[in-house]
Amino acid sequence: MGFQFGYLVSILPSLGEAALINARLAAIIAVLAILGGTLLTILRAMKIAALNAVVAVVISFIRGTPLLIQIFIAFYVLPIFGLDLGPESAGVAAISLNSTIFITEMMRGGLTGIDPGQIEAATSLALPRWLIWRKVVLPQLFRIILPMLVNEVTVIVKGTALLSVITVVEVLRTSQQIAGSSFRPFETLVGAALCFLVLNLPVIAAGKVIERRTAGARR
Amino acid sequence: MTFDLSILAQYWPLFVKGTWLTIRICLAATIIGYVIGIVLALLSQIPSRAIKAAIEIYLLTLRAIPFIILLFVVYYGLPFSGIRIPAVITGTIALSLYASAYYAEIVRAAIEALPRGQYESARVIGMSALQAMRHVIFPQIVPTLVPPSTNITLTMIKESAVLSSITVAELTYQSLVVQGNTFAPFEAFAAVTLIYWAITAIVAHAASLLERRFGRARSEHLVGSALAASFLSLEAMPKRSRR
Repeated sequence: MGFQFGYLVSILPSLGEAALINARLAAIIAVLAILGGTLLTILRAMKIAALNAVVAVVISFIRGTPLLIQIFIAFYVLPIFGLDLGPESAGVAAISLNSTIFITEMMRGGLTGIDPGQIEAATSLALPRWLIWRKVVLPQLFRIILPMLVNEVTVIVKGTALLSVITVVEVLRTSQQIAGSSFRPFETLVGAALCFLVLNLPVIAAGKVIERRTAGARR
Repeated sequence: MTFDLSILAQYWPLFVKGTWLTIRICLAATIIGYVIGIVLALLSQIPSRAIKAAIEIYLLTLRAIPFIILLFVVYYGLPFSGIRIPAVITGTIALSLYASAYYAEIVRAAIEALPRGQYESARVIGMSALQAMRHVIFPQIVPTLVPPSTNITLTMIKESAVLSSITVAELTYQSLVVQGNTFAPFEAFAAVTLIYWAITAIVAHAASLLERRFGRARSEHLVGSALAASFLSLEAMPKRSRR
């Protein structure tokens, strides 16, 4: 019983279809996380002591515990508190929050790369606070963190595979279902791995291009 | 909704067992992964297109594929090629491979950040390639490796939770057992969360001590004025200005 390429090829269409679900969920999560991370960063910069204390605990919790456990909590524990989201939404919520935290921490690092004089100049021009964020800080901040942000997108795409454990029928769960009836788990799992290569390699390649370009710009 | 402590009183031995296994798996995977990573980083210094391309494919593949998929591929692939080993070994191998790609990346970046002359000078005075690495290159890159290695190790500890899906009886698996037996997900996951939190906090603290030993205490970022700090610093208290 050798590795059957023919079988692998025959299941690729159904795996590919399932991979579109991963792509869709990853896209939703990426948008939510970038928005969430940006808003949280702006909120944290306001230095409301009580709020930042809460945020600090959340950051420590998210960074210190496995994403898988966070997904379990969203799926199994939130319903106890009356928040029954269903597997897909619970998973999206868990990964989005996780990524939001990693993005706001990226931004915290990125902000140190912006010249403080620009804020003083913008303020002396009487620009309102939100406009300083929009026109001065955020455009530069996104350029600074772009390589890390692209990397985070690959992390998000990979994270969607974990949703299989809370019954979301994405590519991994689909491959397990196919393997369950064909008894060829190795080929199907290799097929699932190929799907993630197709999803993530373009993102990684884009990241490398961006990295090279920003490295060139600095020289 | 009340927090039922009796569940933890009854099941704490499972959590202890799971924690111990998680620690052992992560230690083994960190060491094996780092060794593979260093070997890959050294190999990638050999001026051969074929070797470089092979390593690049290895690194890219492991970075693009979710750990849970890699784990399943190894889990089903080993018996497929006639190798039957316990799931805990399979899991440790998969975690080591996954870690090796990330460790290789940072070791390689650290080596390549050094001026090329360092290595060449060492060779010129008669050192072998290995001696040059051991006595000239590594002593210089080790301090810079501590912070990124810490990050990767913390990520690995968290990824090890995925081993529960191939029935390795580590921490996350035990929490699922407790949850299945008691139908008390809140208590089970709260306990396991706190344990992971403690493990990662201890590792992070140990790393920061190590970092200080190498004299690379993170330099505090100073933002010019309170005004600029109200945008550019997210710390609770604005840092005192240097100006």
